[in-house]
Amino acid sequence: MAQKSWMYSVLEAVQYEMQQDPAMTWIFELTPPVASNPNMPVINLETEFGRKRVVNTGIDENWMASAVLGAGLAGSKSATYIPYQGALIPFQVIQNVAGKLRHKTGGLAEMPVVWIIEMTGQTPGFGQQHSCYEEDSYYMHIPGVRTVVPSTPYDAKGMMHAALRSPDPVVYLYPAGLRTLTEEVPDDAYEVPLDKAAVRMEGSDLTIVSSGAGMPGVLDAAETLTEEGMSVEVIDLRALNAMDTETIVSSVAKTKRLLTVDQSYYTLCPGAEVIARAVENVDGVKVKRVAFPDAPPPASPEMFTWMRPNAEGIKGAARALV
Amino acid sequence: MTYDLKPSPQTSGGEAPSSESRRGFLKLAALTGAVVSTTGSRALATGDIGFFAKDLSDEKLIDMYRTILQIRWHERTQADQMLSNPDYRGYNHFYAGQEAVATGVCAALRNDGPFDQIDLVYSSHRPSGHAIAKGVDIPKMVAEMDFRATGMNGGYGAEMHISDPSVGFIGADGMIGPAPVIASGSAFAFSARGSDQVAVVFAGDGNYAAPHFHSTLNNAKLLDLPLIYVCENNLYHQYAHYSYSCPHKDIADAAGAYGVETEIVDGQDVIQVYNAAKEAVDRARAGGGPTFIEAKTYRYYNHWGAPGAKAGELGAFGYDPLAINSFRPEREVRAWMQRDPVDIARKILVDWGVLDDTRAAEIEEEVKAEIAEAFEWALSQPLCTPEDGLEHVFAEGTVPARQFG
Repeated sequence: MAQKSWMYSVLEAVQYEMQQDPAMTWIFELTPPVASNPNMPVINLETEFGRKRVVNTGIDENWMASAVLGAGLAGSKSATYIPYQGALIPFQVIQNVAGKLRHKTGGLAEMPVVWIIEMTGQTPGFGQQHSCYEEDSYYMHIPGVRTVVPSTPYDAKGMMHAALRSPDPVVYLYPAGLRTLTEEVPDDAYEVPLDKAAVRMEGSDLTIVSSGAGMPGVLDAAETLTEEGMSVEVIDLRALNAMDTETIVSSVAKTKRLLTVDQSYYTLCPGAEVIARAVENVDGVKVKRVAFPDAPPPASPEMFTWMRPNAEGIKGAARALV
Repeated sequence: MTYDLKPSPQTSGGEAPSSESRRGFLKLAALTGAVVSTTGSRALATGDIGFFAKDLSDEKLIDMYRTILQIRWHERTQADQMLSNPDYRGYNHFYAGQEAVATGVCAALRNDGPFDQIDLVYSSHRPSGHAIAKGVDIPKMVAEMDFRATGMNGGYGAEMHISDPSVGFIGADGMIGPAPVIASGSAFAFSARGSDQVAVVFAGDGNYAAPHFHSTLNNAKLLDLPLIYVCENNLYHQYAHYSYSCPHKDIADAAGAYGVETEIVDGQDVIQVYNAAKEAVDRARAGGGPTFIEAKTYRYYNHWGAPGAKAGELGAFGYDPLAINSFRPEREVRAWMQRDPVDIARKILVDWGVLDDTRAAEIEEEVKAEIAEAFEWALSQPLCTPEDGLEHVFAEGTVPARQFG
């Protein structure tokens, strides 16, 4: 147990699984699977497992995404790290091939495959194509593919173990803006389930539901709101597909007020699905959603930081609801 | 057609490079600069391309020299801003070292006139050189790169998305892959409407690995499109040597397999680049189809920004923390800098009697002053208004704010 960075925690899980399974492969471009942490050995998958198993490719996310699927179909557990530049180039093979494979083969296809999809968007100035936080909405829509988005280093490690051990193909979203988070993370392998939300704070006045990069702003806002006397329940979705309806519904049944927070665009943001499930199951719920406007993220920091949901906006929306 | 730029001591035999041969490859790449640097002007060695530069007016040649200098001093001035001005927020994927490629190609294009008659340029990464060579307003480009409301694109795009269709600069693309395919679509439109315009795409060696490279060339040849694919092979894509993503030493070998005309040029020599581009443009305008030009060149800075560089000095030699497993040997950078596109252009023009050393130096001072003024103007421009971020989503109107619930 030690304070660990996000990437160190994730690569610890990958390293362990690769040590257990000599057939497992890892494909990357640009971002080498290397992480260091104070007073701990450097993890470098490329040097530890060699370039036959850990491959640095050209800029070809279509190949990366397809190759891990093929490796999985051939019986080798496989994962790839798609940096934000190419975050939706793999969409076609994940959506129209992987997502349908088990179903269309009548359950015969086996796909122990993980696509780590990096989401950026936290750096004002890297606008437009290098500023995307919209991948959650796209990938969570695909049946047959588990889509998860951890928000803490602890969950990032545990969900990586679970993803690599899952018989289902997993889109593992990585909000790169969270790379600076550190926390106590166990050294040993452990799993965090791929279909369970986490209740981060308990309360009775208002339920706030968010995920991934939305969580720091939500926790910040919830702390202030609590100091102001509001009893806030905070839910971290973690699993986007399949979504943990039960946790949402039991919370909203108690609070009757629901605020969703997403860095993704307003239309079809994960919160839209959360709200739909809540009002389908609980009568008399008051709802609001905070999200990025339905506009591409502009480069200008003045425009971008105003448009990005933050703790101030969340607090304002919460006060208006309660 | 292809020809050897230099002797090829390494024969890959078509096998994928092992780590052993990759080291040989890196040595060869470093050597290339050194070997070529001893050969002086190579202009006359390109026997199989027409020497079209003989027909250029002195005025045009001086314009080309001036363009190279504008790009060079834009890059140097911006790098200095990044390194020494804590208030400066802009950034670049620097083009320094590659100036002769954009300049030589754009000198062969139609850059003035109505939009439906000028040639179109697609840039991918390192767009500032392509933009300047195509004729964008430099102060407005500088303002855009620092997110100013009066910038070329109102602060919406910044460096990776600069665009000015009025001069045929369709613009940068922050992604590796799509630009060439889209450029082929413009070429398709020219062909379909019977225009003699041509479309040019600048893309790096990294684009080879993307499926888009292959789709572009296949369709351009199948439809004989007026497309010129300028592959700027600067040896590195992002932080990796191109031997990680391409088994060929000459990427033109792969392009030739699609039946496209290919030429390999010394990308440090603006005259050679111009000659190749002129031949390609003439072919395309005459309905002769696409050309693939591989310009062997080099970037003086690292992939992004100015890590490893020092204010007031050209080039980056230090360690780039992002280049974890493949960073550029300092000797390789210095070997390439011996064949500097500015020096080569100046020497040719002086040798040809187009100008003398004194005039050449005066022009450089004029350009430095022009670029300094551009930065001064740009950095005094107003910042963007936050609410304007909701505009330009559709042709009309604004979208609602959603960040406050």
